[in-house]
Parts: sequence; C-alpha cells; structure tokens
Amino acid sequence: MLGTTWLAKLRGGLAACGLLAVAACGGAGGDDGPVTVSVWAWYPEFKGVVEAFNASHPDIKVEWTNAGTGADHYAKLKTAITAGKGAPDVAMIEFQQIPTFVILDALADMGEHGANEDKDLYAEWAWQQATDGEKVYAIPVDGGPMALMYRKDLFDQHGIPVPTTWAEYAEAAVKIKAADPAAHIASFGSDGGWLNGLMWQSGCRPYGYSHTTAKDQVKINLTAPECERVVDLVGDLVDKGLMAKDPFFTADATAALDSGKYWTWAAAGWTPGYLAGSLKNTAGKWAVAPMPQWTAGADEQGDWGGSTFTVTKQARNPKAATTVARELFGRSKAAWEIGLDKAFLYPLVKDVAADPAFTGKAYDFFNGQKVNEIFVPVSEKLGDFQFTPFQDFVYGELNDRSAEALSGSRPWGTVLEETQKNVVAYAEQQGFKVSK
Amino acid sequence: MTRSLPITAPEADDPPAAPAESRARRRSRRVTARPVAGMLFVLPFFLVVVAFLVVPLGYAFWLSLSSKSLALGTRFSGVDNYVRAFTDPVLLDGLLRVVLFGLVQIPVMLGIALAGALALDAVTTRFALAFRLIAFMPYAVPAVVGALMWGFLYSRTFGPFADLPTLVGGEPIDFFSVSLLLVSLGNIVTWAWTGYNMIILYSALQGVPRELHEAAVVDGATPVQVALRVKVPAIKQAISLAAIFTVIGTMQFFTEPQIMARFAPQISAGYTPNLYAYNQAFAYSDFHYSAALSFALGFLVFVVAYAFVIVNNRRRVARS
Repeated sequence: MLGTTWLAKLRGGLAACGLLAVAACGGAGGDDGPVTVSVWAWYPEFKGVVEAFNASHPDIKVEWTNAGTGADHYAKLKTAITAGKGAPDVAMIEFQQIPTFVILDALADMGEHGANEDKDLYAEWAWQQATDGEKVYAIPVDGGPMALMYRKDLFDQHGIPVPTTWAEYAEAAVKIKAADPAAHIASFGSDGGWLNGLMWQSGCRPYGYSHTTAKDQVKINLTAPECERVVDLVGDLVDKGLMAKDPFFTADATAALDSGKYWTWAAAGWTPGYLAGSLKNTAGKWAVAPMPQWTAGADEQGDWGGSTFTVTKQARNPKAATTVARELFGRSKAAWEIGLDKAFLYPLVKDVAADPAFTGKAYDFFNGQKVNEIFVPVSEKLGDFQFTPFQDFVYGELNDRSAEALSGSRPWGTVLEETQKNVVAYAEQQGFKVSK
Repeated sequence: MTRSLPITAPEADDPPAAPAESRARRRSRRVTARPVAGMLFVLPFFLVVVAFLVVPLGYAFWLSLSSKSLALGTRFSGVDNYVRAFTDPVLLDGLLRVVLFGLVQIPVMLGIALAGALALDAVTTRFALAFRLIAFMPYAVPAVVGALMWGFLYSRTFGPFADLPTLVGGEPIDFFSVSLLLVSLGNIVTWAWTGYNMIILYSALQGVPRELHEAAVVDGATPVQVALRVKVPAIKQAISLAAIFTVIGTMQFFTEPQIMARFAPQISAGYTPNLYAYNQAFAYSDFHYSAALSFALGFLVFVVAYAFVIVNNRRRVARS
C-alpha cells in the first residue's frame, strides 16, 4: 500500500495532466490511479452529474467538454471520426443519429463490456433504437414522448373543446382564428425531428435499417398514407393561415408562445423544462393533453428527440468508457435528481419514470398539473421506429421541401413525394439498395 | 464573407548612391551573399505557405479524387466527383443565386462606397473624420455577430422595421420570405462591407495629385465634374481592386446565410455553393465530394476574377 501523501500527489498530478493534455495523458491511468474518460455532451446542468459520477467512481475520472449543441457538436464529432483522432471516449448522440454514426464506423459495441445487462432498465423503444441485435451502440438517457400543450385559459375562455382527434384540431384552428385574428393554433416549426415525431404518431414508419443484418440495404417509404396525411393536415392549416410559419426556438416563436399568438404546441417530454425558463408571461396558463388521434379513441403515440451516450471506437479504454456511458445517468439517483429537477430531462430509465416522485410531480408552469401522468404512458406506448443511416440528409430534405411549400412555390401535397425521390436518389448514390 | 486587406510589398530599394567604383565592388559581394540571405528571409513565409496552404490544398485535391459512399466505402474515382459537381442541380442553383446576388449587390455597395469616399475627400472637417470611423465600424463587427444582430432587427416581434408599413395601413414586412431573402442578405453584406470599401477608395483618392483638381477648378469645372471626370478616373485601379475582392467574396458567400438559416427555413442546404460544400462535409460526412465542390468553386472564382481583370485591362487599353 502506498503512502497517502504520495498517492494524493499522484492523483493531483494526473488531474493537472488531464486538464492540460487529455490526449497525451489519458491512457496513463491503469493501475496507478483513476482512468480518465473524456465525454462530449450538451445536457443542461451536466456539471453536477459529472461531479456525482466522479465522486462515486474513484477509479474513473470523467473529463467533460461541451463541444456545442446539436449540429455543431455533430460536425466536430464527424470531423474527428473521419480524421481518425480527436474524438472523445464517450459522446452524447441523439437517437436519430445512431445509425449514421454506426455506418461511419464510429461507435464501439458496448455489448462486449456487459452493456446488454441494462436491457430491462430502459424503455423498450429506446433500447431498440440504441441496439442492433446483441450489439449495444448507445445507452439511452432522455426521450421526447409527445403530447399537446395548450393554453388552457384561452380554450376555456372561448369555450373551445380541447381536440382529441386531428379533425377536431383542425376545427379548433378555425375557432381560434375567429376568436383572435392575430392568433394561430400553432406554428409549423421547420424542424425535421418535429415533423418526424408527428408522422411517427400517425403510425408512419418511413425508414428501416439494420447494420448487422444488411448494411447496404435501406427502406424508405415517406409516401405511405400515414405519412402523407400529416403533411396534408399541417400544410392545409398553413395555407389557410391558421398555422404560423415561425421556425421553432427562434426569438419570434418563443415570443409568440408567450403572448397568446400560439394556442397549442404538439411538444415533447423535455419541452416543459425548456419552456418554463423562457415563457414568463404565460407561466401557469398552459396545460398538457394527450396527442390528438387520427382515429377517435385510438392510442397512437410518437416521440420527438431524446439522446444517448455512445462509446467511440477511438476510446482509449472502452471498458471504462462503457462504465461511464452506462452509469453517468443509468441507476444514479444523484444524477437523476439533477436531470429531473434542474435539467428537466424526460427519463428513459423505467424505474425513474415510474417513480411517484416523477409521475406525481406538480408543475407550477402547468398550474399544478401533474403532466408526467400524460407523458409516461406515451413513452410506454411507443413501439418500434427506425432511422436511416443518413438522417441529416432526410431531415434536410424535409425542411428544404417544406420551406418551398411554406413560401408557396410547391404544393404541400408534393413535399413528401419530392423528399422521397431525392432521398432515394441520394441513398442509391451512396451505394444502398433501396426498398419501399 | 471573409477578405483580407490587400498587401502591397514595398519595392526593393536601390542601394544608396555611392561612388561608381565602390558600388561595383559592393555589387560583386552582394551577388554571392544575396541568394542565401534572401532564402533565409523567405524561409519562414515559405514554410507557412507550404504547411498551411500547399499541403492542405494538395490533401483536399487528393481527397476530391476519390469517392466515399456510406454503404460501399472509399474508392479512387478520378474526375467523377467533378463531373457530379458540374451536373449537380443543387450546386448550379446555388451558383446562379450568388451570381444574381452579386449582380445587384456589388454595384450598389461599390456605388455607395464610391459616393461616400468622394464626399469624404471633398469635405475636410472634424465631422469627416468621425464619419470615416463610423462608416468603417461595421467591418470591425464579426460577421457572425452582425448576421445574428440583423436577424433580430428583421424580426417581426423585436425588430423596428417589420411593422413600419402598418403605420400607413400596409402589411408587415417578412424579411425572411423568399422574395425578400436575398435583399435582406444583401443589406447585411452591404452594411458590413461598404465602409471597408469606402476606406480603400478614400485612401486611393488621397493619392490623387491636388494639382489635377486645381487645374480642373481653374478651368471652370464644378465639384461634381471634378469628382466624376478627374477623381474617379484617377482611382480606377483601386475601384477594380475593390470590385475583384468583392466578386471573390460574393462567390464564397457563406457566413450570413449560414447564420440566417436559423431564422429563415428557406435557406436550404445548398443555398450558396460554399454552404453546400460545408454541409456535404460536416452534415453528410462526404469530405470527398465536399473537397471536389470546393475546388470546382475555387476554379470558377478564378475564372470569373481573371475574366474580370482581362475585360478591365482591355477597356483601359482601348481607352488609352
């Protein structure tokens, strides 16, 4: 046993070394001290989660970097992966990006380090998207089960019933316009993930891909009736001036949400947290209802967003990296306390989501409504949904073709048809055999 | 847009006048010393150019000669990427867009810059100095910050301009609509670069001999005639220099549309050629095609700039 002073010095040295030159020192952990594992992630309040992990894992030291949000993060990650060096050991990746990084040969199989044990810990749909057979490419963290947020005060005041079907939703849109000509039922946010979530909720399953069984085959079917009816509906609302055109997350859209210009938002489990911070004027006036259905009485659900931890193939110590990916959140009570109360993540760990502390939580923003009672069953209902290994291109096409429809240069009815055509051409150009 | 100030190297000075004999002796010594010393002076610059220009360009060119498909991996493909690029409707649309943009924006901007420079040259008060500084200021604002700022200024909710027509009973302006988007972008670029070009032209005007104006004034020329008939022809070189830099910058249009895309969904992945190359590399992971797009664009920029110089020279030769 080494003297404590000596050990403390060594620890201090390693910590400094990690700060100054992660790449040069990281592998030096081994038996002499904690192994350093680098993590790229953009979760809010993540510092506390890292500290909790480091405090409970004396043999591993997580070095956290926020390499940007969404596209910026992916651009850096893809560059580092193509370059063959510079990628972190553990990277946050959203669900729709998993097949993309798998086909770039960027992700290590955590199944080799026992990650399959976690199968029953997570919501089934999430585990399905994170894995491919026995191969575990990602560990789920948070999700985005969708539900309808609406201005309860305004709906009540004008006696408009909260829509339970999309037909009622379209009727409500007309009534809202009649009640306030400056208002819209919602905005078409020009967000591929959102549109995808609505299509998912409509029972549309446009993509199919498995790297393990056939890495050069992909299914693309964006023109199925379940997909088309979603675009037809929102397109019709936009054309009639009942749905606004502001992209989500812009200052204009947020201001519109906070000033009674939008009365609803088909949003996700993470949205309450996002909104509570930015909508000060209308806090307490919102409520959550289940998503409107395409068939009255049905219970089809969809998801918008959500993320995971992956271990890259550049990881210096894949075993330690797997531990980090599994346990940063995973079963960690301390991490989920921060995740739920400060970062407002929707937990994909089944026990955490089912915990009365979560389902029974009353939100001031929703005037005391226990909104998770609505979100949790949605997540449980979500079934199989797959993504393509070039989802950025698909969302880019969806956005660009929708933008043409928004500006009136393309009929909404051809948005998915044209997207399908371009995506198939791209997939074939990339060497895939495409089926419908 | 990113551009650098034109750098003009001072001409090599002749050695100071000296008696003829000693000059001859000195010269013989210098003949041997010059190559080594010269090379040493050039070396740092040479190394930087090789490390940060020649090698990356060579590597990018090498990348552009192979193709990577997601399903099949990487293979050598020769000029395939270039054939694909020059027949890619997305690239061609983007090119057409920046050319149209340039045809309107460049003359407007240089026109304002020239007018401003002439005005500054004619007025010599303290106000002129302050105006010069203020006009130059937008250039000092980073392009990203400028674009974000304009994004808010154009905003329907927060911006001061969108609601102006409602004062006289009109419809609010949507600066991000398809019909106005290029105008909105052009305004940002004009805002950012007019002052810069104005200063270049103003500096050139400072170099015009005063005797010329005086002679013109004595001959009875009005101030406007002095400006248009004497000063403008005298700084033609500087004007075409500013124009070339602007043409090159316009062909490489990137920062403003990239930032503005978050406000305007109409800015597609291939809105400008440079944006398309960026998205191919960093969104679709196709660094090979992206390299080919960049080289294709570089080639076109070279052709356009060169054609511009030739036309310009020819005109000058024809005039003289």
